[in-house]
Amino acid sequence: MTFLWVTLKDLRLHARDFRFLATLGLFSLSLVLILSFAFGPIFQEPAREASATLWASLFFAGILGLTRALDLESESGGGDAVRLAGADPYSVYLGKTVSSFLLLGALFCLVLPCAAVFFDVGNLAVLPQVAGVAALALIGYAAWGTLFAALARGLKARELLLSVLLFPTLIPIWIGAVKLTHSLWADGTIEPVRDWLKIMAVMDVLGLAMAAWLFEVVQEAGE
Amino acid sequence: MKTIPKWWTVTGTALWTASLALVAVSVWLVVTRAPIEQQMGVAQKIFYIHVPSAIATVIAFGLTFAASIAYLSTRNWAWDAVAVSSCEVGMVFATVVLLSGPLWARSSWNTWWTWEPRLTSFLVMWILYGGYHIVRHSVAAGSRREVSAVLGTVLIVTYPITLMSVHWWRGSLHPKNVMMTSDMRGILLVSMAAWILFYLAALQQRLRIEILREASNEADG
Repeated sequence: MTFLWVTLKDLRLHARDFRFLATLGLFSLSLVLILSFAFGPIFQEPAREASATLWASLFFAGILGLTRALDLESESGGGDAVRLAGADPYSVYLGKTVSSFLLLGALFCLVLPCAAVFFDVGNLAVLPQVAGVAALALIGYAAWGTLFAALARGLKARELLLSVLLFPTLIPIWIGAVKLTHSLWADGTIEPVRDWLKIMAVMDVLGLAMAAWLFEVVQEAGE
Repeated sequence: MKTIPKWWTVTGTALWTASLALVAVSVWLVVTRAPIEQQMGVAQKIFYIHVPSAIATVIAFGLTFAASIAYLSTRNWAWDAVAVSSCEVGMVFATVVLLSGPLWARSSWNTWWTWEPRLTSFLVMWILYGGYHIVRHSVAAGSRREVSAVLGTVLIVTYPITLMSVHWWRGSLHPKNVMMTSDMRGILLVSMAAWILFYLAALQQRLRIEILREASNEADG
């Protein structure tokens, strides 16, 4: 149950910082707007351009969410308290991953309708499948992102360093999410690109497994 | 205080002598003996630098991974020294691959760069291992080794993607199998041996710096 307490603690910290959440939301919407201008006003392949915009906005804005979670913890001393309480490191990692996943999920719920409306690719029939793809992509993002964010804790210019390390690592997840969303919006099916589901699932499992093995060392290094 | 043992210096001299001699032989063979490929002409000879450099990169980053795991298991500073040294030398070879690739691509595919899977995944790997060095130099000395070892372990995730990219993705311009004459194969093997030996010599030299740095740190207390 430790991971649940860590998740609740992180979510509570996020909820108290409403100004940051509002900024994060506006930042992701600005990204959607800028990319819409870059591709538009007449879209050549709306489904492709919308899916690229959706995932680029989420990935860039997500970095801020990942680093903010650790900043809040440092400021409030919550991380030290959890460690002093003798919490299992992997439970702490899981709790943080789940809270990051929920934050990214909320961001997805905000950006998805905007991308769909701006690019006119809205198709409610495939919404459950798009949500499934998003779940798979965001689990991977949260799993790898939490590990890297913990690693970059205390570094100068950590947002930059996190971007340099995290984005290239997440490329298989990013390509998969874009291709699957594009296929769903364009053809209503994922059949032509189904293999990307397996690649994304492998990346998710790898991220969680690497953290299970290494998070304790990362936590010790941060002390 | 740690000092450099005599056998280490002797081994280093022997490695440098052997590797430079073999590199000279391989360059001579490439220039004078390697057959000129019909379609690409002389530009095809880049192959004898490009492929061995890629193999040396794979060995170097593989050793970084293995040494990082060994460090996490034993907390012996020597493994950390091997990991960072191998990664640094590997970056040089990876840069040679990325520079020689476009020269080949221009002659073979009529473009300096194309977003094909092997090129793209190799560039991603280069960026990530470059990030390894930046992070290592940004971390406080107390946790530098642990953070580097975790990164050296995690970054292996790019390894299978780069190696298998030509099989996993369609549209790869890199061939799955290369057709060669026996002359070509022989000279390629000599070039590989030469550049791998050169990698070992550079690694040994770089390790020497780490040993001296450790000795200096110990002396400073």
